[in-house]
Amino acid sequence: MLTCLAGGRVVDPAHDRDRIGDVWIRDGRVVEAPQGGGSADARHDVSGKIVMAGGIDIHSHIAGANVNTARLLLPEYHRAALARPEATPLASAGWSTFATGCLYAGMGFTTVVEPAVAPHHALHAHLELADVPIIDKAILAVLGNDDVLLGLIHARESASAVRDYVAWALETSRALGVKVVNAGGAAAFKSNLREFSLDDVVPYYGVSSRQIVKTLQHAVHDLGVPHPLHVHCNNLGIAGSADTALATIAAAEGLPLHLAHLQFYGYGKDGARGFSSHAARLAEAVNGASSVTIDVGQVMFGPTVTISSDVLRQFNARDRAQPRKWVIFDGDSNGGGIVPYDYRVDDFYNAVQWAVGLELFLLIDDPWRVFFTTDHPNGAPFTAYPEIFALLMDRGVRDEWIARLPAEAMAVTTLPSISREYSVTEIATMTRAAPARLLGLADRGHLGPGAVADIAVYDDVTDRAAMFRNAALVFKDGELVVRDGKVTRRRWGRAFAVRPEHDRAIDRRMRDYYDGRYGLSPEFMTVPDSAIGRPDPFELVPCIT
Amino acid sequence: MGHAWIDGKPATIDAATTEAAKVLAASRFPVVAGLGTDIAGARAAIALAQRLGAAVDHMNADAVFNDLDVLREAGMMVTTPTEARARGDTLLLVGTGLVSAWPELPQRLCTSRTAPDAGGAVRRIFWLCPGAGDERVLGADAEATAIGHDPGDLPVVLAALRTRIAGRPVGRTPLPATSIDALAADLQTARFGVAVWSAAELDALTIEMLCGMVKDLNARTRFTGLPLAAGDNAAGILQACGWLTGFPMRTAFGRSRPDHDPWRFDARRLVASGEADCVVWISAYRAATPEWTRDIPMIALTAPGARWRRPVRVQIEVGRPGVDHDAVEYLAATGALAPAMAAKPSEAASVARVISGIAAVLSAGAQPC
Repeated sequence: MLTCLAGGRVVDPAHDRDRIGDVWIRDGRVVEAPQGGGSADARHDVSGKIVMAGGIDIHSHIAGANVNTARLLLPEYHRAALARPEATPLASAGWSTFATGCLYAGMGFTTVVEPAVAPHHALHAHLELADVPIIDKAILAVLGNDDVLLGLIHARESASAVRDYVAWALETSRALGVKVVNAGGAAAFKSNLREFSLDDVVPYYGVSSRQIVKTLQHAVHDLGVPHPLHVHCNNLGIAGSADTALATIAAAEGLPLHLAHLQFYGYGKDGARGFSSHAARLAEAVNGASSVTIDVGQVMFGPTVTISSDVLRQFNARDRAQPRKWVIFDGDSNGGGIVPYDYRVDDFYNAVQWAVGLELFLLIDDPWRVFFTTDHPNGAPFTAYPEIFALLMDRGVRDEWIARLPAEAMAVTTLPSISREYSVTEIATMTRAAPARLLGLADRGHLGPGAVADIAVYDDVTDRAAMFRNAALVFKDGELVVRDGKVTRRRWGRAFAVRPEHDRAIDRRMRDYYDGRYGLSPEFMTVPDSAIGRPDPFELVPCIT
Repeated sequence: MGHAWIDGKPATIDAATTEAAKVLAASRFPVVAGLGTDIAGARAAIALAQRLGAAVDHMNADAVFNDLDVLREAGMMVTTPTEARARGDTLLLVGTGLVSAWPELPQRLCTSRTAPDAGGAVRRIFWLCPGAGDERVLGADAEATAIGHDPGDLPVVLAALRTRIAGRPVGRTPLPATSIDALAADLQTARFGVAVWSAAELDALTIEMLCGMVKDLNARTRFTGLPLAAGDNAAGILQACGWLTGFPMRTAFGRSRPDHDPWRFDARRLVASGEADCVVWISAYRAATPEWTRDIPMIALTAPGARWRRPVRVQIEVGRPGVDHDAVEYLAATGALAPAMAAKPSEAASVARVISGIAAVLSAGAQPC
């Protein structure tokens, strides 16, 4: 079946394209226009609309044991949301897996990455993702607080031994990449340490956080995993965390490194309250470090819940829980902390946080290296994305918001003075072309011939929030799935995973390890195809050779 | 191949499936109860309930809510059985029913030392108010020091223990003050302590006191909790309900969006009151039958050997997860969902397959759940 999207403004930064034209689809792929002007079986007149590839969200906590604990912790939030859907906590965030897929698709997103899955919980995460309709998905496997890795570093084992282990973990978890969360911090917390910085050392192993990050960075890179090591730095959320982020950026040393939700590290200690924005310093460092990518983790106002594998940080934040309840999970390596929180427009600190995220977006020059996230739900639910697009694209909208926030908070940031407005092409780069490249998805994020036909069509209206809230049309693998923000056809996507080449001797080594430590076979952490219950549940992403 | 009955008379699975669909289509408010099944069975059963506007409950939901109510009203600190084994230098076993909840507890948890990275410490095991039948010897080298002997004392004893840890005075309790103070001191010298309990045996207020004490201990040292799950994959079903609906079991779909109410949608109450007019009873792990005696049209999906007072409307024998067919379920040894590959694969239909069949008849041709 040949489909034509006719006469739209086609924005495809991967091919330097922003002009009126047609997009042709056949058998789930974008194809060249037929020779001799053949006619389409299905033709959509998209004149006056913007056509781009489907959105790709690289960091959103949508599935797995920690996410599910958050659901079970807060039934009052989604009960309230269902009764009064407009203005209540997490109002439209969609608690269930089904709602998650539909809401994302309605906004024109076609791929979402769950960024933090403990390998022992990979099966759980994949089961949840299998019940998220329409979108393609992936998980990142969390390493860096596990006894195996810390033991390998402590014993000064070879780089190839580390690579074999990392490859084994990726393969067993069926993950797309590796995440490290407060490297060494969760292990240190189990030994009763209450703070942990880049050069602090994990008791017993004598290994520093920096060593763990560097070891994983090299292993991921040398294995040819397309996605760089994805780093949640130490000291998230505290005044002065900018120093930690800067030190971690410097630690990249020219190799690829991705820093997650950088907004939470954008704080200095200046001013009467000892809390200020250092976003400008961070932006400058990111601009100067061409191998580094970041995602923002934008804060927006309203009640939400923080879900994180940074057990230490969440434990330290527990007294600020709103409502006053929280779960701290000491997992086998990392674990989880679920702490509800309310970002308030009248709160000095929250207002600074909101500004820091926007400063990062606006002061980092290269839209290929800054990624659009709220660290859902930690900064805000993903349903806040349309409002954030409006803030980035329209200085007037920003000024309206700034006028409603505490002036003393705005005074410790540079935001009021920033006039930059994101263009449609820059948005398409940041949310489509760049994430596809960062994840190694060569046939997504663009509209060239051969691309998978994951396509979003938007009405070109001045109210950019309205534009991005309800996509006019969304195609997934060439099938129409959304019309005017509403899902019209339910179908199931795939989970991306990498399987780097490595020496299989690790299998035996890991069987012996699990037998010794737990009296168990590592079978318990595998993800059998048959368990997923969907046709073709996985898609292998090639490693870089 | 498999056994099925309609009104007590043998029938083919196809005929039983068709009859079940007919009964459900004619009912006004069914309840999907028991729910002793694997994750695939839960996904199918919950989808069916959503479609029928039914309620879902699990036969062990009382125990589930003892823990869950504490978690969602007060929060909790928890760990895994594997981490407790590797790191727990001080185990505080609480109450009774621990080994019956987790038969492998002695050999999995009570090894004599913690792992090297946790200091290789000799493990100390305290058992607070064990029951009369609880065996204090938990393995070759593991013996528990018992404090108290009556689980009924736990509410007062836990409150006193928590108070003494906070350094405040207490009045008299069934236990000598010196025992309570000694245990308080031992808990505070734990490097990574783990309290272990079975929610099937404690009520929510007792669990809340225990979990509060665990949190208090973290002011100075590391301490956490290990709740032991109830049987029939209760913990797995809780997870599946959570991600599919946003809510735990005892949720209904009559209003075309999930309605969670642990009192209102207790299957026993729905049946006793007459609000429910049909039950889909699922018990795949063992041939459990419901507690109620009321005569209500029932579609029973059970492991072989179920015995009924009166023949049920439709009965279909299903395969046992992890025995007759591959499954995913909560694994007590790891505290997480894990694959359970069929030990003795057979042709017996899984719960998921039977429910898909019923749904297909209901849809008369459209996609099954």
